[in-house]
Amino acid sequence: MPFVWPAVTVLVYVCSKRLYARTRKLYLTPLVVTPAVVISLLLLSGSSYDAFDRGAHWIGDMIGPATISLAVTLHKHLHVLKKHVRAIAAGATAGGLAAVAVSAVLARLFGLAAPFMDSLAPKSATTPVALSVSGALGGVPTITAVATLATGLTGMIVGPLLVRWMRIRSSAGRGILLGTAAHAAGIAKAFEYGADAGACAGIAMICTAFVTLCAAAPIMSLFQ
Amino acid sequence: MKTNTIVKIALQVGFLIAGTRASEMAAEALRLPIPGSILGLLALFALLELKIVKLAWIELGAEWLVAQMLLFFVPATVGIVRYKPLIVESGVAILATILLSTAIVMAIAGLTGERSGRARGGEAAS
Repeated sequence: MPFVWPAVTVLVYVCSKRLYARTRKLYLTPLVVTPAVVISLLLLSGSSYDAFDRGAHWIGDMIGPATISLAVTLHKHLHVLKKHVRAIAAGATAGGLAAVAVSAVLARLFGLAAPFMDSLAPKSATTPVALSVSGALGGVPTITAVATLATGLTGMIVGPLLVRWMRIRSSAGRGILLGTAAHAAGIAKAFEYGADAGACAGIAMICTAFVTLCAAAPIMSLFQ
Repeated sequence: MKTNTIVKIALQVGFLIAGTRASEMAAEALRLPIPGSILGLLALFALLELKIVKLAWIELGAEWLVAQMLLFFVPATVGIVRYKPLIVESGVAILATILLSTAIVMAIAGLTGERSGRARGGEAAS
């Protein structure tokens, strides 16, 4: 029954979205609750991941069309982006460079071997970019995929706390913070601050992707 | 939601899926170093700005897709169950690296962005 798992996934997602809308608790974000419930159901029912993936992989394939759809957001908010073009370029460049360097330094500090450093370095970029950069550096794409995802989750949960503690008040600043560090998951979070923040996060994600593509190899060569 | 609206969203999402496939094939054929979805984003943005693609053709579908973005990450997140040995072996070090570096990157990006915005007399100093 290939339609059971996608149906379960969508149902759990719809319920967790309602729950989040009502409670507004950061740890109840649908990106934490939905996978947690679906994984529990998988384990309880004794089903394999493959059985889940056969039915539900098309849900993941929709990330592509959703990414392309950000063009509409950018088009509708072009006036906001024009106003913040320098802030976005500065924030995403500084953040994108720092992402590669800081990940590598911390990975070494925590005793992880070189392939782990290469796998973790591009994790702030959007998943397809992170995967291709990781492969080019000599990393393990599987680790990069998991790390990129975990980065998105971390950004969604920690991002709003940093916004509050550091008193980031402009929608541009909030969007840059989330889009640079946490790619599409950060964009989804930024939209909760409004469409302006979401649009800035979208551009920041694109800038970070380009910074990572260009700068990851030269930065990582410093750690040889 | 009216049936009319649902049909419109479905058709527009179909159009966007076709556009994604086309841009993925183009990126592969041209051997571009950027992924198809980023190429498609830039191409669709250009087409909207040039008014070759009208906003009304895709607006409802695109906004629906963006609003459901978190759902599309769920299968990949569930995929973590496949990496149990990796998580047991190096999970703590990996998690510590991710947590700390993501927080540092967000602080750097957020402060740089906020400062640059303020320097130009933007909306920052509210």
